[in-house]
Amino acid sequence: MESSSVMRSTRENALLRTLKLLAHNKIGLLGLIVFLSMTLISFVGPLVIPPETQAHVDQIYQPPSAAHPLGTDFQGREMWKMVIHGGRDVLIVAFLAGIITTFVAVTIGAVSAFFGGWVDSLMMGITDIWLTIPRFLLLVVVATLVRLENVWMLALFLAFFGWPGLARQIRSQVLSLKKREYVEAAQLLDLGAAHIIFREMLPNMMSYIVIAMINAMTSAIYSQTGLVFLGVVPFGNNWGVMFSLAYAKNAIYNPNAAASLLVPMGAIILFQISLVMLSRSLEEIFNPRLRRGV
Amino acid sequence: MNQQLNEAPQGWVQHTAAPRTAVPNHAPTLSVKGLTISYQAKRGAVQAVRNVSFEVQRGEALALIGESGSGKTTMGLGMVRLLPSTATVSQGQLLYSRHNAGNGSVTGGAGEIDVLQLKGRDLRQFRWKECAMVFQAALNAFNPVLRISDQFGDTARAHGYLQGKDLAERARQLFELVRLDSERVWRAYPHELSGGMRQRVLIALGLLLEPQLLILDEPTTALDILTQRNIMDVLKELRQRLDFSLIFISHDLSLAAELADRVATMYAGKLVELSDVYTTFKNPVHPYTIGLINAVPTLTAHKDHVASIPGSPPDLIDLPEGCKFHPRCPLATERCREEEPELVPSTDDTHWVACWNWESARAQLNAGQKGASA
Amino acid sequence: MSSGATALRPKKTARELLEKIATNFWLRTIVKKVFIVWVVVTLTFFIIRALPGNPVEIMVMSLMDSGLSSEEAYTRAASLLRIDLNAPLSQQYSDYMSNLLKGDLGDSYVLAINKPVTTLIAQRLPWTLFSVGTSLLISFVIGMFLGTLAAYRRNSLLDHALTNFGAAIESIPNTLTAIVLVLLLGVTWKVVPLNFMRGSLSPGIKPGFTLPFVVDLFKHYAVPGTVYVFSTLGGWMLAMRSSTISTLGDDYVTVARARGLPDLRIITAYVGRNASLPLITSLAISLGFVVGGSILIEFIFVYQGIGLLLSQAIGKRDYPVMQGILLVTTITVIVSTALADLLYGWLDPRIRITGGGE
Repeated sequence: MESSSVMRSTRENALLRTLKLLAHNKIGLLGLIVFLSMTLISFVGPLVIPPETQAHVDQIYQPPSAAHPLGTDFQGREMWKMVIHGGRDVLIVAFLAGIITTFVAVTIGAVSAFFGGWVDSLMMGITDIWLTIPRFLLLVVVATLVRLENVWMLALFLAFFGWPGLARQIRSQVLSLKKREYVEAAQLLDLGAAHIIFREMLPNMMSYIVIAMINAMTSAIYSQTGLVFLGVVPFGNNWGVMFSLAYAKNAIYNPNAAASLLVPMGAIILFQISLVMLSRSLEEIFNPRLRRGV
Repeated sequence: MNQQLNEAPQGWVQHTAAPRTAVPNHAPTLSVKGLTISYQAKRGAVQAVRNVSFEVQRGEALALIGESGSGKTTMGLGMVRLLPSTATVSQGQLLYSRHNAGNGSVTGGAGEIDVLQLKGRDLRQFRWKECAMVFQAALNAFNPVLRISDQFGDTARAHGYLQGKDLAERARQLFELVRLDSERVWRAYPHELSGGMRQRVLIALGLLLEPQLLILDEPTTALDILTQRNIMDVLKELRQRLDFSLIFISHDLSLAAELADRVATMYAGKLVELSDVYTTFKNPVHPYTIGLINAVPTLTAHKDHVASIPGSPPDLIDLPEGCKFHPRCPLATERCREEEPELVPSTDDTHWVACWNWESARAQLNAGQKGASA
Repeated sequence: MSSGATALRPKKTARELLEKIATNFWLRTIVKKVFIVWVVVTLTFFIIRALPGNPVEIMVMSLMDSGLSSEEAYTRAASLLRIDLNAPLSQQYSDYMSNLLKGDLGDSYVLAINKPVTTLIAQRLPWTLFSVGTSLLISFVIGMFLGTLAAYRRNSLLDHALTNFGAAIESIPNTLTAIVLVLLLGVTWKVVPLNFMRGSLSPGIKPGFTLPFVVDLFKHYAVPGTVYVFSTLGGWMLAMRSSTISTLGDDYVTVARARGLPDLRIITAYVGRNASLPLITSLAISLGFVVGGSILIEFIFVYQGIGLLLSQAIGKRDYPVMQGILLVTTITVIVSTALADLLYGWLDPRIRITGGGE
């Protein structure tokens, strides 16, 4: 009881410390602000702003103006409202896929490195095979067979195809941690694999895991965008669907329609870059040697 | 081919040693004057080398000893201008003079140059041709993807030295000198050689251009005791046969004793004692040197009398006032805490020390040691 | 030899063979690669049959929609898919595998009726290999150069600019890059005529070693090629930067400086060569990644490669074509990893393996 509260408080301290360090890192702070505000807008915005369900035939493809801040789309719908409503699904898939990918990768990487021997050979053999296969094509083919109707399914799928690279990285991290004294001590005390992995090693890899998760989110959005564009993920209104539809309607050749194409694309790019800025700054904070390279 | 291999060593030494005696010159090979080096760190400046002065005479071997973090390696890197970019040389001179007016030497004859002023091509030519350095971690001293022969070729080409068959022949002679089988080494990749072999290859490479000065930075640290012995024998033999000055950086006093003519003791970035090797070991006067020597286990001393120096080296960012050794010194007085002593002559003008109380140190501390070993 | 000895012989040779495979680097590699191909084939075979909405049923449904009775539809589907639908799965699998071993990937049944999948793929694969391969090389070389530059100037303004730019472009989905380029180059600035952004050759130009062909080839390649380069460049740059920084800290680089070697020699033979070693293996793996991305790029640029073929096959649910493309891309990636291994062995003497014999 007491020890768990102590642990929680040190964890909170670590979080606070990280935030403080981030506040001193210009790029990291900017990334964090963009990331948080886009997340906030995407989740809270739809509760405040009514969705654009009606087509306005007389307002089709209006360029941005005072009346239409971000222009209108092929059905005359307000782009700014569409963008606010179109973020949630993209972000939920990114978060879920990020978490699941990281979970799978950490489990496989840690178990493989910790037990070594044939377990390691087998698991890394599978990982290598999975790494060699052109996974995006397989993902596309499988996506045509399975109806990826909800965010959970899509997130699971992206994670299923996204884990191997990360698992390899986690494995080498654990291998280097394994040689540290406190882990060797825990092994001598025979504290059990689960205890050593979850209590001794993972807390020491938290920063690394958080960065890995952000990177996994970035790749999830990357793949998701492609799947949506190919039309194999047919759900709702989101940034990916918005720009794919605009592209399909040849908005690219119509100067008045440019906004309907560029606004959702801009939202995706901005969110991606905020994630990249965040993860790079965290890397800089947690592993200063990377930057200094001394 | 094989017969030549057996005869070569004696013949070769004479042929290289001969031209060097031609011009008499009494200027020291290297004269370090007031060298001060610091590193930029987040907490402040790391004062790694502070106002160090010494000379290395022609053909002389000087040992630079001290604990890790005393600034020895920084000194060594500073002498070939290979300090990392965070380091700055705030003052001092590194005067180097070439004795025989060699062809294409950077000094442009027998003159004197300040190594710290060298730039670009001149600096490149100074390195290795005038002053070669054998590094601490020599296990990784060679590019893993190039054959030893290519790495000799690179070095030779960079300095307009022999190429092709002539180079191979010269290398073969050097390999014999360091007791290596040249047949095996010449075409090998670094990973195919053992640690001791690689270290000897590096020594041979260091001698390739016949430099006047060879700096050895902990050359045996990463090696096992037998290999270490072997390298030391090679070095002693080289000293007898070839004409070059040597700076031997080490924390190991017994190795320094074997190889050096003079010993300079470094503490917290400063020289604290400088004398000939015999005096350093038989009659040291600085409490730190005395402590170091007492810490060396000898065959005659009992284990219990091997005393280590209490305390640990000071933080180079936040140095204590006065003498930097005073927190660990048994004889420290008020003066030691306030004023830092300079390196000055003690018993005679060949024995220099930086200590206010060297006389009482010699009397009290050495007596204790003698009593223990008796 | 006695009869007892001959009886033992087959066993012994089998074990010898296993031992030889285990000890010989190249044999081991080949066995491993063949195994991966088998895994992919098996995986796609069972995925397509086990997942909900399997192609056979979809096809039967669509045939029934076009007015066939369910029985007719089944026979028709079976003949088209060359699968005996009533046979047990294991039987279907072994039939499929034996066809594969004969080099028969089946026939397309929607895109180009009864045309062998191998023919379709053979027409399209060179285009993808050309565009993806060329781009990958260009991006690798530029990335190595910029990465080295950033590493040598680390913590400078240039370094910060390059690394942040590299990380940012790596995260932008290639689809978006492609659309932005079409919009900017083709529509807004009108730098590149739009007809060079559609298709892989102008009409009327015949492939061959002629100047018009080569010029036209590169005109059509330019924009999609830029997209490939743009979306992979950041990764190479960052990888090369961190690899170079760690190599710069290696002792042999310091020693090379102490040896007075010229800077150019140190940058190329000492730092560059060692720093690029870890990137060689990634080069092959990234080929698979980029070929995967070609499905999007070729779709946007109507580039006549296997990516476009795959997106067409997906649209028409042409399963034999999909299976075939997956198989061929996997083989391509595997062959290129083998080539990368060879290259690596040639560049790094430490892992150079003596193949065959002693």
